Amino acid sequence: MKRLRIVALPLVVLLLVASDLGGQLPGDQMATQSLRAYWHVFIAYAIAIVMVLGWVVSIARRLARIEAQLGQ
Amino acid sequence: MTGKGIRSTGTALALLGLVGMLLVYWLSFFWVSTDRLQGVSQRIFYIHVPAAWTCFLAFGIAALTSGMYLWLRDERLDRAAVCAAEGGMVFGTIMLTTGPLWGAIAWNTYWNWEPRLILTLLLWFIFLGYFMVRGSTENPEKGKRFAAVVAIVGALDIPLIHLSVIWFPQFLHPQPVVVKPEGPTLDGDMLTVLLTSLAVFTTLFFGLFLLRYALETLRAEVRARERAATA
Repeated sequence: MKRLRIVALPLVVLLLVASDLGGQLPGDQMATQSLRAYWHVFIAYAIAIVMVLGWVVSIARRLARIEAQLGQ
Repeated sequence: MTGKGIRSTGTALALLGLVGMLLVYWLSFFWVSTDRLQGVSQRIFYIHVPAAWTCFLAFGIAALTSGMYLWLRDERLDRAAVCAAEGGMVFGTIMLTTGPLWGAIAWNTYWNWEPRLILTLLLWFIFLGYFMVRGSTENPEKGKRFAAVVAIVGALDIPLIHLSVIWFPQFLHPQPVVVKPEGPTLDGDMLTVLLTSLAVFTTLFFGLFLLRYALETLRAEVRARERAATA
């Protein structure tokens, strides 16, 4: 339960802050925008792989723990 | 399918999904053409949309198995529901984090309080509530029943999310480009990468769902042994 709250609260704060920050970005800096776009793509793809691998590792660890418990 | 069968099928599908994910990454970065209007940021589409699809599929399965659990009271259905809901949370988080990263470039804002985005965030919170409700009761059986109702209510949000862009076209979120009456309006190579990514995410989800289900089955076995030992 505590872990769920730890995940949910930063997400809400991030969304609230992000909706304000977006409006402050300059619209005509094409080169900066382009470089920023690459960063966003890399971050998005990194998030996807980290989330998936995180779930894989989490399942593997829990399986190992429960098997050890069953073996006792 | 036996416990071992579930686990080996899950492992095979998960490995296939992980290899497929490498393929999707390669296709997205090196093969598919760059969108003329949006530039490189459009490549986020190839993970954002499949993550959204997998999230809705997972929550749909969670709701369906929850409904069947309320009807048949079969523990296996509840186990399937919790495993699917966990997968839905993982893919939902990918969808909710990659979307703003794309929006920051395409719309010049990370977040816009529009119907589709609000309803999607609401879905994520409903399923967060699903896990909270499960663990909040003294009697685990009661918790499972309450959580099953939450899952069904949450899934009612899914068609609203899909229809919201059609009902409210004045907002920033784009209209569907694949599921349309007149057929997909995406370029051929983009459609190929999208469909590959959809297949890969779905395979990965089912693989990990089966492994998660195997874990939940083992947990039930441990609980049964503990009960037998104390009796």
